[in-house]
Amino acid sequence: MRALCWNGVNDLRVETVADPEIINPRDVILKVRLTTTCGSDLHLIDGLIPTMREGDVLGHEFMGEVVDVGPEVKTVKRGDRVVVPSFIACGQCWYCAHDLYSLCDTSHPKPELQEPLLGYPTAGIYAYSHAFGGYAGSHAEYIRVPFADTDCFVVPDGLPDEDALFISDAAPTGFMGADFCNIQRGDVIAVWGCGGVGLMAQQSAMILGAERVIAIDQYPERLAQAEAFGAIPLDFTKVDVMDALKELTGGRGPDACIDAVGMEADGTGTQHAYDRIKQALHMETDRGAALRQAMLAVRKGGTLSILGVYGVMDKFPLGLLMNKGVTVRTAQQHGQAYVPRLLEHALRGELTPGALATHRFSLEDSPTGYRMFKHKEDGCLRAVFIP
Amino acid sequence: MSTAIRKDPPGSAFDASAHAAVTIGRPADELRALWLDPRTCTGIWAHFAIVTMRGDGTVDWIARGPAGSQYRWRTKIIDTGPDDIRWASVDGADVPNTGVLTLRPAPGGRGTELHLDVQFDPPGGVVGKAASKLFNIVPGEIVQKALYQFRALALTGEIPTTNPQPAAREGGADR
Repeated sequence: MRALCWNGVNDLRVETVADPEIINPRDVILKVRLTTTCGSDLHLIDGLIPTMREGDVLGHEFMGEVVDVGPEVKTVKRGDRVVVPSFIACGQCWYCAHDLYSLCDTSHPKPELQEPLLGYPTAGIYAYSHAFGGYAGSHAEYIRVPFADTDCFVVPDGLPDEDALFISDAAPTGFMGADFCNIQRGDVIAVWGCGGVGLMAQQSAMILGAERVIAIDQYPERLAQAEAFGAIPLDFTKVDVMDALKELTGGRGPDACIDAVGMEADGTGTQHAYDRIKQALHMETDRGAALRQAMLAVRKGGTLSILGVYGVMDKFPLGLLMNKGVTVRTAQQHGQAYVPRLLEHALRGELTPGALATHRFSLEDSPTGYRMFKHKEDGCLRAVFIP
Repeated sequence: MSTAIRKDPPGSAFDASAHAAVTIGRPADELRALWLDPRTCTGIWAHFAIVTMRGDGTVDWIARGPAGSQYRWRTKIIDTGPDDIRWASVDGADVPNTGVLTLRPAPGGRGTELHLDVQFDPPGGVVGKAASKLFNIVPGEIVQKALYQFRALALTGEIPTTNPQPAAREGGADR
């Protein structure tokens, strides 16, 4: 089959590689219908993550059609059109039983590479280096999906592929970030970042009953999309964000602040431990500034929901959180806990993830798609590949 | 999961011992039976050795060392009670070793804690080599990954793997 392979720093090539096969009995093989870029891919492409191998197939946000099923698969069948969360979860362990799917205890083939960094291994993830499992990614004609009964969700008739696609990662990550905020009547939610995850967090906060959602970014087309979703846009290069937030909240401050800034792209999905190392080595003050601004802006006793990752930030103002009594919630996406609900919201038009798909490419042109995505050329919010 | 490599003082009988623990949400008797299933040891130790359990409670091990070297030994289960499984290598082992798996109830209905201790005793033939240099991976990682894979097998019926289709070329996906 054809697949987009990492060959070294900024060296992406579409190549012919071996087709995936059923390995374990609960596996299925999908024919990929759509697959998309994520900001966290850029760290891999830039060579900042040490456990990439030449030839690794990229891509972890995707949907497709089931074309082969393992002997122990119970509910998924050939021909099903499904969306798959980026973290691989078994559905059987303590973490999966507690809806903490990205912390699954059994899905990592190489836990010894990750445990020294985190203390305990997380779930495996598609195409995010070997420290995160080394699973082949979705920028390919076919992909192997383990634990299909837990990880494949049938897309309802009537929901277009492009809406289903982002329910793989951007939508559940954003929804989880809003869910962390425990939104109550009258709450104002401020979201830093209007990339895929940030925009999904904004729509999710509205679904969960926020009185007002404020979107903070600097790119006009992204702020325009946030406004189209019903958020109040703030361009942090043009206004004093603290002043604006106090004005918009009657001096109270946002009840919850969601950090969806991420690192290289604006708030696009999963970030990981190696990103943290990368941040330590390549720290950029503006990134820390966004999180510190959120910490400063959140009201006393409010919630800080972190979807971007700043694990080894120096000069982290912990006393600010302590003295204000801020609740901090954070995680990689526990997508399996949210996907059924998100499919329903999308079917009813309350969630419109397809709006993230600004640019489309064939798989053969996917290196061009990554270039446009990386440099935000032509207002590229997400590049979608059609294998 | 926790692990520790305890370095014994110079001159002690054992060069290194390794310990790891996991909790699995299953009853001890079920886990004990799974541990003693011949197919289990082949799978959970595959990162370290080719392991074959024979019918009489003996197990043959062929461990991979650096530069294509191999170490062979046979272990025998020496005592099995309800709460632990013990084994030791028999005479003639390239790397004499002993192991014990202890099963304890976990609190709050969380299932069973498994504690695995393995002690390697580098023999005269490889004098001067620490146990951690005998194999391609260190002893702590050997036992830790074995327990991770055992937990996966117990809970899901399979061991997570990307082989024989690693994401990278040339099968080079392991490190």
